[in-house]
Amino acid sequence: MIEHEKKPEPRTPGKAIIAVLPLGRVREDILRVVADGLQGILRLPVDLRDPIAVPEDAFMESRNQYNAMALIKYLDRELSHNSLKILGITANDICNPILTYVFGEAYMGGRSAVMSSARLKAGLLGEPVSREQFLDRVVKVAIHEIGHTFNLRHCHTDRCVMRASNTLLELDEKLNYLCDYCEIFLFDSLREALKDPEVADGSV
Amino acid sequence: MSRKNRFMVVDDELIVRESLAAWLEQEGAVVDRAESGEQALDFMQENFYDILFVDIKMPGMGGFGLLERAKKSFPTTVVVIITAYGTVDHAVQAMKLGANDFLVKPFEPEGLGIMVAKLMEHKRLLEETQYLRDEVTRCWGGPDEIIGQSKPMLELFDTIKEVAPSESSILILGETGTGKELIARAIHAHSKRMGGPFVPINCGAIPESLMESEIFGHEKGSFTGAVRPKKGLIEVAENGTLFLDEVGEITPKMQVDLLRVLQDKLFYRVGGVEPIRADFRLISATHRDLPHEVAQGTFRQDFFYRINVITLRVPPLRDRREDVPLLVTRCLQRFARETNRDVDSINDEAMKILVEYDWPGNVRELENVVERAVVTSKRRIVTPEAFAYLTGQDICAGAGFSPRSLEQVEIEHIRRVLEEEEWNISRTAKVLEVDRTTLHKKIRKYGLNR
Repeated sequence: MIEHEKKPEPRTPGKAIIAVLPLGRVREDILRVVADGLQGILRLPVDLRDPIAVPEDAFMESRNQYNAMALIKYLDRELSHNSLKILGITANDICNPILTYVFGEAYMGGRSAVMSSARLKAGLLGEPVSREQFLDRVVKVAIHEIGHTFNLRHCHTDRCVMRASNTLLELDEKLNYLCDYCEIFLFDSLREALKDPEVADGSV
Repeated sequence: MSRKNRFMVVDDELIVRESLAAWLEQEGAVVDRAESGEQALDFMQENFYDILFVDIKMPGMGGFGLLERAKKSFPTTVVVIITAYGTVDHAVQAMKLGANDFLVKPFEPEGLGIMVAKLMEHKRLLEETQYLRDEVTRCWGGPDEIIGQSKPMLELFDTIKEVAPSESSILILGETGTGKELIARAIHAHSKRMGGPFVPINCGAIPESLMESEIFGHEKGSFTGAVRPKKGLIEVAENGTLFLDEVGEITPKMQVDLLRVLQDKLFYRVGGVEPIRADFRLISATHRDLPHEVAQGTFRQDFFYRINVITLRVPPLRDRREDVPLLVTRCLQRFARETNRDVDSINDEAMKILVEYDWPGNVRELENVVERAVVTSKRRIVTPEAFAYLTGQDICAGAGFSPRSLEQVEIEHIRRVLEEEEWNISRTAKVLEVDRTTLHKKIRKYGLNR
């Protein structure tokens, strides 16, 4: 039987743990569902930011895709933001040097994550999926990538959102919330981060 | 991945190193990064890696160099070659050099997960196979299971290791009970045929009338009672070792039949018309003086030469008395464990008897003697009384009989039991079947002390 520990208190009212940042033009309903999803499911304060342009040096001309790792580095390097973690969202297709595409990308324990909505619209046979199914996928990818920034690894629990999902089918099969273990690990990680004085006083 | 795996990504390109390592870390693995083959080898001296992901094109040693070094020094580490579209030929070359798989950049995300899972399963099976192989070697009695530290035995161990890998027929000579079958099993366990069966045949125990059918098998209806075809032991031993124990008991006709098999590598089942390929290594053993029998004409010379390409002689136990204490101790522990008896040592006097005994039945007799001592002993320490029947003397009565008083006998007996029980009063009282108070009184009365 897992005993849930008491959730840590947010740092100070009005200061977000997670910032959601549109990279280029991103549909309003996507941004809203991601912000609501992170706030409602992870129960962490979320700040929805104004969009910024997608950094052009992250574009890989030979693959006609944006390099997700370059986007993460850009977010880490260029932006000062008053939040513990930041999730960049783009409508452009993203990849990394070893993978032909990724739905999202994050470093374990990193500060920034990035995700794309580009490949989440298609059904299993290429047909467009319903708006609800599309937004459901968007939320799952957002939680999954933010989970990695809190040091959550791929989970083997049946339908946990942290389960690896390299295909749309795998993405559809899992649910949009953390299993009991991942939730415990998330709050442990958050508690650890809040011990950092810079994080605690909100100066990050 | 259920357990914590350790991987290493070796690539001079930072971006590839980072992206692959980040992906693997999300899977729960510990991932080290190296930017050259040299650095990777340094890391490998410090840690054990399950999988190495190695780029082919790197300055310095390069991927091929690292692959060769890694496979030579760390054969169980799985190596995956990272390559680009243009260098698939190189990847194929790498597979020929022992790489386990290759990764063409960029890779479909689901393919990478499947590949890592497949390689981890492959590695698990390799480790399991190695474990089972070691277990089989241990159970079948490698040289480690043959006990001996004497010079003749050490020489024998060396010879076993030397001759085991060859395919030559071996004849093991030695008295009954010296452990010839154990030697044969050790040779098999250290030969290239170790994965195949070891089939022992006691030639002295199979009736002459059944010998041919047992060894060569028979076809259905070839004789009365042959209601179905049967494989012979030669077929059972395919790819393995056939051990002919007591080969000196084989009839002259069977010697001819076996000689033909050894020369032609083919045989026929009894009643069969189709030749069957024979692929086994022959080890024979006997306690008889075969050269003398060859000289007398009672054993075929050509067959003797064919089975006697290499000769091993197992020394009798009386010629290696220094091994007796080691054998006794091992047997004592084994039988105490098997029979669940609380017997854990043997005193010096008793051991001396065993070392000086001539052991006409060799190691087998020693095992029987020790087993009997363990089963019949009422104490933790085996004493000379347990071996009185070996010397035909009543050891309990001492070196010789001389008239003594009852009190004198009692004093000696109490002192002996006290010493055997390490002056533990409770245990001594239990052995003497008196209570502790009585024992204390007698100790005081006779002035016994350590």
